Amino acid sequence: MAHIQLKNISKSFGAQTALSRLDLDIADGEFFVLLGETGAGKTTTLRLIAGLEKPSEGQIYIDGVDVAGWSAAERDVALVLQQYSLYPRYTVRENLEFPLKPKIRRLPDAEIKERVERAARTLRIEHLLDRKVDRLSGGEMQRVSIGRAIVRKPRVFLMDEPLSALDAKLREALRTELKNLQMQLGATFLFVTHDQIEAMSMGDKVGVLHRGRIVQTGTPQEIYNNPRNTYVASFVGSPPMNLMEGRLVDGRAVMAPKTFELPLSENGSGGAGTGGAADGRPLVFGIRPEDLHLESGAPVEALVHDLENHGVQKIVTLRVGDLQLRATVPAQTAVAVDQSVRFGWNPEKVALFDKGSGLSLRHEA
Amino acid sequence: MTQIELRGVQKWFGAVQVIKDLNLTIADNEFIVLLGQSGCGKTTTLRAIAGLETIDEGDILIDGKKVQHLKCSDRDIAMVFQSFSLYPHMTVYENIAFPLRATRMAKADIDKAVREVAQVLRITDLLDRRPSALSGGDMQRVAIGRALVRRPKAMLMDEPIGALDAKLREEMRAEIKRLHVKQGSTTIYVTHDQIEAMSLADRIVIMHEGVLQQVGTPEEVYQRPTNLFVAQFVGSPVMNVADTTIRETGGEVAVAVGGTERGFPFPRELLSKLNGHAASDGIALGVRPEGVLVRLEPADGFLPVEAQLIEPLGSFDIVDLKVGKEVLRARTKSGFISGTGEKVFARIDPAQAHFFDKASGRSLGVSL
Repeated sequence: MAHIQLKNISKSFGAQTALSRLDLDIADGEFFVLLGETGAGKTTTLRLIAGLEKPSEGQIYIDGVDVAGWSAAERDVALVLQQYSLYPRYTVRENLEFPLKPKIRRLPDAEIKERVERAARTLRIEHLLDRKVDRLSGGEMQRVSIGRAIVRKPRVFLMDEPLSALDAKLREALRTELKNLQMQLGATFLFVTHDQIEAMSMGDKVGVLHRGRIVQTGTPQEIYNNPRNTYVASFVGSPPMNLMEGRLVDGRAVMAPKTFELPLSENGSGGAGTGGAADGRPLVFGIRPEDLHLESGAPVEALVHDLENHGVQKIVTLRVGDLQLRATVPAQTAVAVDQSVRFGWNPEKVALFDKGSGLSLRHEA
Repeated sequence: MTQIELRGVQKWFGAVQVIKDLNLTIADNEFIVLLGQSGCGKTTTLRAIAGLETIDEGDILIDGKKVQHLKCSDRDIAMVFQSFSLYPHMTVYENIAFPLRATRMAKADIDKAVREVAQVLRITDLLDRRPSALSGGDMQRVAIGRALVRRPKAMLMDEPIGALDAKLREEMRAEIKRLHVKQGSTTIYVTHDQIEAMSLADRIVIMHEGVLQQVGTPEEVYQRPTNLFVAQFVGSPVMNVADTTIRETGGEVAVAVGGTERGFPFPRELLSKLNGHAASDGIALGVRPEGVLVRLEPADGFLPVEAQLIEPLGSFDIVDLKVGKEVLRARTKSGFISGTGEKVFARIDPAQAHFFDKASGRSLGVSL
């Protein structure tokens, strides 16, 4: 149980700035996902909280107490990494017991047994307890690593891409398991990943990290439906949000006069309602692939550039001039490459961004 | 014009058989994807076609001619690997021109060929750079260019974009597809990523433990998987598979999942199509998340279920529904079910249901 706060944290390695003025607030019992590309500073943030690195500036609080002077052991956090780092010569049981048998403050045997068994039951690895670790599959090993974190009953779980090394099917299964586990334990989880699907599907809250700064924090729905800037818009969602440059003229989005114009809604989600203020100003219009529709009578003409079959749906890449747009359509839709089609969008779902700063007009206001 | 055929190909590494009696015909201009987990024999198959690996039994034919005894340089096939393997001390231009240097082609012709390929791949302005100054995507473009410049009979690609990050992979996928449409060379592409396979292939070849499982267009493989392995390997989230009991009471046919009393209603034809299998309990039901229909209000044929975990994926949600002892995952509009623990109503769309023999894993071929 713990409430974690990072205040104004900066961290540099030599001349390289990894994090700059980072604020983060993770509530007790929350599943918080830190999402970012390689090099965004995700792992550094995790290591700062764990006490494996010292911040160059700023404070870290756990339950309101500044932990600057505390060692990693005193902070009582558990770290689960992508690499399993189990003891290969030990059995699963011995691996799970290990953190409970330090030289000082050793727990009574009955208590150790009880905790190991409960963790094994939670993770469904009871049948593996007497097996050597090197005889396990990847998914089983990762469960044991998580088990080794659970038995200690830490205040906080820190997880650094624990699912990245697993194959797709297993990753999907463990995603559900981890989320269930977190709800069951009611513990605070900080989970780091570069995979936006993992972030969306598991996080109570998601923080998007870009070049050492938090760009946006919110529920998965908020991040998806109302991205703060063009970076978040194109990073979250697959295929990403379509972005096109244009201007606002008389309540319409104009990418190219006459040939490429689309209507906006007065009170749409994109904040087109800011109306007059944004008129004529260079903007970037954003629309998700599922909000573009192919229809014979629709306003804009395009050429089908590429077609991807994803089973339940097709992803159509449309070409309008030099611009490529993605649209998701039902699997039954009949389209062919190089075919000429017409499309429109859902005016309620258009997001407007300032061309210069990339900031969403909604967030700007 | 290149047709490739494999006839009864077998391959052992010591005591381990990695390819088991493989038969496959690849048509001219076709884009074939070999799909499977690591260790399924897909790369070995590709290397055998290229001539980088010998085979122990069977024939490999290119345009009707047996080539299994030819050296790889005599098969006129180009290969692209996951690691880019460019010459670091040569410029992009020299790298692409390299395969032509040995052919005694006139300098002017080489120049023309290189520039043509560069234009197709949109790397003309990179020609003077060295590989170390390129991004991952550009490096792979150069590697593809080097393979294309010879105008080989066939292109073989081994996870060519597996090492790139997610966004770039999506872009390169579209480019490779586009390139194939333009150049029209017979292509065999190896991957473990089912999304890549679905989006690129004319036909997908699914392998598992050295055995070919199914060959078909992306639609066929997705809609009519021949066995449980294919059913659960293709598609994300994976297909729900649950033990079932099929009951007939008073002329009504019901398929029960997870030991529930009431079953999901199915049309009567199910019984005749199952052909006597119905009585036994060795049947597994398979249904993709989009085949599980969900409503908030009770309706005819819908059973009450409890929503458990909800995964919001942006444009849609994946919801775990507790049905008896089983969990079925359903795909709903985003935000359709408000929270964990909510009581909703579900049914299974008979048209999207699959039935498998539990012992063999084979599909019973029922389509309603």
